[in-house]
Amino acid sequence: MKTVLILVCLILPLSASTALAGFFESLANPESKEWKIITGATQVLSSTQEIDYPTERNIGESLALEGLQRFGNPVANEQLQKYVNLVGSAVAANSTRATIPYQFAVLDSQVQNAFAVPGGVIFVSRALVDILESEAELAAVLAHEIGHVSAKHALKSTRRAQFFQGVGTITAANLKGDTGKQFASAINDMQGVLFDKGLDKEMEFEADLAAMEAAYRTGYDPSAMIRVLEKLQKLEATSREKKGSWFSTHPPLDERIARLQTQLRHYPDFAAQASVKERFAKYGRVK
Amino acid sequence: MRKHRTYLVIFVLLLSVVTAIAAETRWVSSEGTTLKAESSAASETIADVAVGSEVTVIESGGRWLKVRTASGKEGWLFAGRVSETQPAAEVSGGDGGIFGNSMKSSQISTAKADSGRSIRGLSPGAAQYAKNRGTPELYKKSLDVVLARKVTPKELKTFLKEGKIGEYAQGEGGKK
Repeated sequence: MKTVLILVCLILPLSASTALAGFFESLANPESKEWKIITGATQVLSSTQEIDYPTERNIGESLALEGLQRFGNPVANEQLQKYVNLVGSAVAANSTRATIPYQFAVLDSQVQNAFAVPGGVIFVSRALVDILESEAELAAVLAHEIGHVSAKHALKSTRRAQFFQGVGTITAANLKGDTGKQFASAINDMQGVLFDKGLDKEMEFEADLAAMEAAYRTGYDPSAMIRVLEKLQKLEATSREKKGSWFSTHPPLDERIARLQTQLRHYPDFAAQASVKERFAKYGRVK
Repeated sequence: MRKHRTYLVIFVLLLSVVTAIAAETRWVSSEGTTLKAESSAASETIADVAVGSEVTVIESGGRWLKVRTASGKEGWLFAGRVSETQPAAEVSGGDGGIFGNSMKSSQISTAKADSGRSIRGLSPGAAQYAKNRGTPELYKKSLDVVLARKVTPKELKTFLKEGKIGEYAQGEGGKK
């Protein structure tokens, strides 16, 4: 009997504590499922979970075509485009969705904006790149957009996007006829969200935090995200052209900055991370 | 009474020990992660470690962690490349590119789905969408160029090294 008791004493804490340790460890991480359940931050399970990657890519590239027509073609500077792809790929590799391919391009647009389409194509305007002063700031902007792709925010933003769920894999063949019309209609809705209305406020905050984390994990100074928003804040007061910019499609900048400043406490050595101003000055300037 | 106290002590001790062990598990969450012989990117590479691999932390030094892999190999990983939670698996992936290793295990790759195309170019669905919408050729070509740009793992490594970023930073603990 005593032996049994001793065994129980040995086994119970082993199993229970392992489970508990895992649970408490997860609770310490704001990104964990356990934390989100406890804090009620878990988003409603989205139908987008059933959209496969090739379909997501088809949706994204269709939106990218609309984005180019709306904001302008990529800047004709191969060195700059390559540089932006290197910075973007660096932070993408440390994002929460590192296993899909990403492509980045600077568009010849005078509106300070950046946007991501499903699947991993990310655009940033020359006007936004123009106000940046370091590679860490560029990394922050790109990592914010990667955050939207990782969390599939655009796909979760319109009711009509649920149409993709029932269709299965989108192919060229099934985009003819009625399905093609429905597809175009869903793309139109998503354009409205991405280019005019803006994503849900909480999605923007989520992307901001994801950007800080991916930048820090890569080795860039995560406070660069705050500096970018502060620059935009200054511009916001004087800018005439607000339509379609980060001012009009994103939550108030002071609220975003405040949240990021709180998050920055998680990175006590942030100031010791890379900023890389010289290389940005050489390759990141739009000519 | 004394025996009960002993059991209680054993219980508490085990609880704390096991908690400590469990807390040291991490998962590789970045592409292109390599296990290094020392806490320096310049040191010898022991093995490539795929995203999702579980490792046990043995020692911590600045932004570097000494770990043991599931196959028993010991070495150092840059802390930015591991996570305290298991990364979500991507069921179907893209066309690889810089993400070579993990993409090989993807169930479906865009490259496979798009095997009819000689270059990356537009996805077939997007090409059909453009046709349906009458999208000007100029924009299709522009997007083709954007999609064709690739960053190789070697280019990325050189880029981070030249910028002294993360594991390539100079000074103690990966600081610059």
